[in-house]
Amino acid sequence: MAQPPPQPPRVKGPLVWLDMDQQDLDDAYDQLVYAPNRDHILKRCARNSELARERLGAPKRFAYGPTAIEALDVFTTKAANAPVSVFVHGGAWRTGLATNYAYAAEMFVDAGAHHVVLDFNNVLETGGDLMVMADQVRRAVAWVYRNAKSFGGDGERLYVCGHSSGGHLAGVLLTTDWQKDFGLPPTVIKGGVCGSGMYDLKPVRLSKRSSYVKFTDEMEERLSPQRHLDRLVAPVVLVYGTLETPEFQRQSRDFAAAVKAAGKPVTLAVMESYNHFEVMEQFGNPYSLFGRAVLEQMGLAAR
Amino acid sequence: MTMQHDDSTTRGAVLAAAAGTAVAASAPARAQQPRAKGPLVWLDMDQQALDDAYDQIVYAPNREQVTKRRIANSARARAAIGAPARVAYGATEIEKLDIYRTSQANAPVNIFVHGGAWRANRAADYACLAEPFVRAGAHFVILDFTNVDDAGGSLFPMVEQVRRAVGWVYKNARSFGGDGERLHLSSHSSGSHIGGCVVTHDWPKEGLPVDILKGAMLGSGMYDLKPVRLSKRSKYVKFTDEMEAALSAQRHIDKLNTPLILAHGTYETPEFQRQTRDFYAAVKAAGKPVELIVGEGYNHFEMLETLANPYGVLGRAVLAQMRLAAAA
Repeated sequence: MAQPPPQPPRVKGPLVWLDMDQQDLDDAYDQLVYAPNRDHILKRCARNSELARERLGAPKRFAYGPTAIEALDVFTTKAANAPVSVFVHGGAWRTGLATNYAYAAEMFVDAGAHHVVLDFNNVLETGGDLMVMADQVRRAVAWVYRNAKSFGGDGERLYVCGHSSGGHLAGVLLTTDWQKDFGLPPTVIKGGVCGSGMYDLKPVRLSKRSSYVKFTDEMEERLSPQRHLDRLVAPVVLVYGTLETPEFQRQSRDFAAAVKAAGKPVTLAVMESYNHFEVMEQFGNPYSLFGRAVLEQMGLAAR
Repeated sequence: MTMQHDDSTTRGAVLAAAAGTAVAASAPARAQQPRAKGPLVWLDMDQQALDDAYDQIVYAPNREQVTKRRIANSARARAAIGAPARVAYGATEIEKLDIYRTSQANAPVNIFVHGGAWRANRAADYACLAEPFVRAGAHFVILDFTNVDDAGGSLFPMVEQVRRAVGWVYKNARSFGGDGERLHLSSHSSGSHIGGCVVTHDWPKEGLPVDILKGAMLGSGMYDLKPVRLSKRSKYVKFTDEMEAALSAQRHIDKLNTPLILAHGTYETPEFQRQTRDFYAAVKAAGKPVELIVGEGYNHFEMLETLANPYGVLGRAVLAQMRLAAAA
């Protein structure tokens, strides 16, 4: 269904990934080629995040690490000992701030869950290293698990979601060795919903994204969730839209197939006629496939 | 975020905003060429500018995409909340309405009037709007009615049918567990034009209460038909002086007895923004209760999508007007 804008026919170069030449692959990892309304939607979500804060009040902000960016926003619900949803934002690993991703907070707070939105470095700040970002979001989740009680949360009901490159990082969280790396139980995360993410970094490394991500063999291996399904213990829902790039559709489909083949619980939710950013926006709608999946996984009703 | 906020409503500004910074994939090519302006036909608009201001696709290039997902989401919604009860409110085949019932007894009712430039669409494809209301404790009724092409270019049959459907719901609400004394109306686009004619109808003339509707949300509509008549829409609507006068809600505010929410998005056409602003000002000047909601960053079709979300611009406003929480 997804169609790039009409272009003059061009001679296809040598294939670099599946049936794609370099240009095809680069386009498939460039959202703007398939979602020309990107900035329109990002701006709307940022504005709706402001409006959410006007209604709910400013979130509590806690540091989960020593640097300034290592902090998280918590929108608290009234219910005592409530479940906690942790959101990891996207932005091609390059952009994005927690403050612009508060637009789903009311849905969680009304449904009886705390909503945590993470800040973390971007890849330009880490010299091209995704490992730093992975380490930060892991430490953030460990912090929430250990400190949930301080804001009225139940650390034993901790769920994660993410979108785009945040969907990739949520996949990394779901395949983290919590015992070995943090001395925490392997079941720290009770469920995950990953929207429009990437789960094997090989084709990403082959694309023009390698001009700003300094991929190494080790990074590709350790941060490809699809290669660590042995560590996956939580049920996963994967969401994508039919107007996303061919690779962003394939990544979710292939990850779903791999999880299923491993005999672990996975659901694939396909949003018809939504592009990458329109999927993201629907995270804040309890009656969309995305928002509904998140609430259902947490055992909450839309309110 | 590289886009600048721009409050102006020129086509260029709206299109640039809608298209983002780089690839204006589906924006019509004619919008990109500077052209000599012809004689003004309405406000500061020449014929082309006015025609464009009543042609949604010029300002909302993603119309087909949004329509497709509305239809897909409606099929899913019917699977989630069950098929509606379909009931006739009149004698002809099209005069039927779909009732999505809530489980609560004696519940309030929201009646939805769809848009489509008076020419297109059907009730079944709007089921996606029902679920937030059904879950919140309201019945949601979606009307079918004829279109202007089947009506030989006249808008009167559509308006008459929708008024009759509202009367039917008032009289028969109890038959499906509804409270006829808590009727609300919501609408979009040409459906809001019709909605405007419903809330300014002379109900006592039909022996029905003057406040038959306890509230209405008219989204992205038209409330004075003069500029519409001057636009290319007159090719398929056979406007007459009588039609223009009788069906311009803004000229019948004396009969308005329903508190209104009027809404438009900032990426709508200049005329669709102005129509709402001017109707709002006129209702307010008449000292009647009205609220203006401006959806920042939404085009014509995206505005309606926010009614399908209890936390969206319109969903939130209508639930609040009905005194319902997003909670069931």
